Amino acid sequence: MVLVIFGVVTLTFFVVRLVPGDPARLMEPPGTPESIIQTVRQQIGTDRPIPVQYVDFLSGLVRGDLGKSFRGGRPVAESVAKALPNTLLLGLVSMVVATVLSVLTGIAAALRPNSWIDRAVLVVVSVAQSTPNFWLGVMLVLIFAIEFQWFPAIDMAGPASFVLPGATLVVTLFPLLVRTVRQSLLDSLGEDYVRAARARGLPEHRVLLVHVMKVAAVPLITLVGLQAGFVLGGAVVVESIFNWPGIGNLALKAIQDRDFPMIQGTVLVIAGVFTLINVVVDLTYAALDPRIRY
Amino acid sequence: MPRSIPASATELAAQPNGLAPATSRVVERPGLKDLTRFLRRRKSALIGLLSFAGILALAVLAPVISPYDPLKQDIANGLKPPAWNAGGSFVHPLGTDSLGRDIASRLLWGARNSLLISISAVLLGSSIGFVLGLLSGFFGGWVDAVLMRVSDIQLAFPFVLFAIAVLGVSLERPPVLLIAVLGLTSWMVYARVVRSRVLSEREKDYVKAARSLGAGQARVLLKYIVPNVWQVVPVIAMLSLGFLIIVESLLSFLALGLTPPTPSWGSMLAEGRQYMLVSPWMPLFPGLAIVGTVLAVNLAADGLTDYFDPKLAKGQFRRVRLLGAWTANEQAGDSLLKVHALNTIFPLEGATIRAVKDVSFEVERGRVLGIVGESGSGKSVLALSIIQLLDAPGVVASGQILMNGQDLVRISDREIGAIRGKRIGMIFQNPGASLNPVLTIGFQLNETLVQHRKLSGAAARRAAVRALALVGIGDPERLLKAYPFQLSGGMQQRVMIALAMSCEPDVLIADEPTTALDVTTQAQLLDRLDDLRLRLSTSIIFITHDIALLADFADTIMVMYAGQVCEIGARDRVIRTPRHPYTQALLNSVTRTDALGTKRLNAIPGDPPDPSELPPGCPFANRCPHAMDICWQANPTLTMVESAHHAACYLLTGEGSAKVSRQ
Repeated sequence: MVLVIFGVVTLTFFVVRLVPGDPARLMEPPGTPESIIQTVRQQIGTDRPIPVQYVDFLSGLVRGDLGKSFRGGRPVAESVAKALPNTLLLGLVSMVVATVLSVLTGIAAALRPNSWIDRAVLVVVSVAQSTPNFWLGVMLVLIFAIEFQWFPAIDMAGPASFVLPGATLVVTLFPLLVRTVRQSLLDSLGEDYVRAARARGLPEHRVLLVHVMKVAAVPLITLVGLQAGFVLGGAVVVESIFNWPGIGNLALKAIQDRDFPMIQGTVLVIAGVFTLINVVVDLTYAALDPRIRY
Repeated sequence: MPRSIPASATELAAQPNGLAPATSRVVERPGLKDLTRFLRRRKSALIGLLSFAGILALAVLAPVISPYDPLKQDIANGLKPPAWNAGGSFVHPLGTDSLGRDIASRLLWGARNSLLISISAVLLGSSIGFVLGLLSGFFGGWVDAVLMRVSDIQLAFPFVLFAIAVLGVSLERPPVLLIAVLGLTSWMVYARVVRSRVLSEREKDYVKAARSLGAGQARVLLKYIVPNVWQVVPVIAMLSLGFLIIVESLLSFLALGLTPPTPSWGSMLAEGRQYMLVSPWMPLFPGLAIVGTVLAVNLAADGLTDYFDPKLAKGQFRRVRLLGAWTANEQAGDSLLKVHALNTIFPLEGATIRAVKDVSFEVERGRVLGIVGESGSGKSVLALSIIQLLDAPGVVASGQILMNGQDLVRISDREIGAIRGKRIGMIFQNPGASLNPVLTIGFQLNETLVQHRKLSGAAARRAAVRALALVGIGDPERLLKAYPFQLSGGMQQRVMIALAMSCEPDVLIADEPTTALDVTTQAQLLDRLDDLRLRLSTSIIFITHDIALLADFADTIMVMYAGQVCEIGARDRVIRTPRHPYTQALLNSVTRTDALGTKRLNAIPGDPPDPSELPPGCPFANRCPHAMDICWQANPTLTMVESAHHAACYLLTGEGSAKVSRQ
């Protein structure tokens, strides 16, 4: 787990330095004399050999120091710490809404396979799956922020500002969740133990909520965990469209500015959060399925 | 193919419903030949494929059909609306952008770029993934270990972010770079799926046989393994194509795609976003193009998935009540359960399978009715009909199942719910699968007791312990906390019996309860069942393919063949003087040790008829050594041969006696 984070961070470190594009030159207006650029390089430390920079970066990491931003010199850790809660809050709200919505829809579809409800759900899911979230975000802004002016289009200011970015993320998450809920319900509904539970005269709601759901929940939890990764990835896009002060927006700006410490810092935090979620998922898994023990 | 009776346990396990011997055929992976036929049935997949082909054609023909050069600027005519809006004209059917470039032309050229990049990336990713998966699965060892760890790391991280980081710092972004980035980040899925397919294929008999005959590694791989694993590649490729089209557009939307001014859907969208206040159609069109293309690809992908990987449509339980009052058919004095002229059918596409045909019988209190027949004879469907738990599309078409003055096929769902478990208990063939794997034994016993006997916590617990003790479990307290997977097969089946008997039902239906168990455990369980029957005076319907089991256990024996009863009678009469040739054959097939000490197994030659195409005559005629002309023309009905003994055969009625036997 630590290995994965370490691998990702190391990879990012070298890739940003090995591809062309000198951050020092970008920070100054075009036509700035080479001597000034060289001073800037010395200031931000990109003049040293890459292995030296790497050792420096690692020793900072051990001390919990993520370095200073190339732009403005603020500590990366501080910016990241400020942005992360905003991303997590938006992500959490969207995950919860998407999960609740898709569990309900998935159950409705699975209870009557091939009925009109099931077909309608599958059509909606197909369309949602084919809709890129960056386009959806733009369209939502166009309709609900510009045309009707119901919700704010940008920034994080109160509950209403969660609606449009949240809706965009929910639509992105929805299709795969619904498909999984539906399929795992259909799979467990056909199992022998479900028939056996019915043969014991248990009422249908109990069969569904206890016997079917407890087994079907296991793949669902795994998926929700995996989806958390997509929320973090999707945050980059959604946050940039809605100018959300989160980690994704920070990362994208850092990439555009070639702000190496900031890129490394944001990637590290995203990888860390992602891995942490996976650990939590594994533990929940074990709690739900007695056959798994760690 | 000669077929021995009793069939092996595995064969039965493969046919849980005892339906359709057709399901035991080897499932062959479909080839491309049948694809057209499949597409004709799956309209959505056909529409998807055709639309995608259409979009592809537009993209290829873009240089020919696009009305303008996509890069030609005409500032004077900038931000023209589409033709149907006020101020628009057919000179620019979809309007122009801020620099006066024709939007329709740019969309066409954008399709060309988007599809070129995503299709090439898919080809790159799938080739790398396929080859690596093959090698990894086939050779194993360190190659496998290294590849799987690398893919673990790649899968553990949202790699789109990585792609953004790489592309973000590159100043020039030619198509090759995009293809490489997208292709190299998508090989893992192919590799993993192909690898697991190869692993299972490698262990198959024909591959092992080829190896033992000295076929070289390369030959085994190319001739035997590749033909059986390649099918997963187009499916994943199609699924990943839709995803990559979106990712490519996303990258150009974030100004990380092709270097401008090359048109692409994503960059047009980003540009449109800047002008959406004045020209809301500008972000609309490229978005619609993306949604349409990806939707077409996804529909085709869904179709391909189902085509190459057909999931056996698992039957869903759905009870269909018979309506209308039942005609007076008074329940006879001692009988607890009376089945009268029961017909259960499975209406399938093209044919209706009559799984149970005109079956009637009675069960008396405290007695054992043994039902015997080959797999596919309808005995399990009969059991499920009684307890009203048929899998769709099975329905009871006519008949009555009378118990305590109620007709089980006509009462409401609530009423049948009160009978299941409380008045009729059921034990299934596969105890491991019939216990919920994630709930403890105690929980499952408890919920049943609470449901039917309205017991409270402590009382339910005592009752649960008693139920377990009753089936001979030594340490019931400890077992309550155990999960099914911690128990042996024999213990699991005891738990199933305890569950079924915990509410002291009047009737216990046991459907092949001992088939999955070894012989010693089998005998112990039969003793338990008999003991319970005597103690609680429960009636038992015992279903089996092994007539020998019934010889000392059943009071009455009913022999079923192709959904109908061919012989029914008191045990001694059926065993000692079987009258139907099928019963005689069944008894003959029981393993015996003859005088010389050698074991013989007399198989019944031939196969039972296809249940969807039953012949007009006796269904056993094609395997019967005494078949006569009439046997091929009409189906005999049950006739009484002596008291408490009926059989359905023309040999007994004399109708065919004058005619010469066919053999």
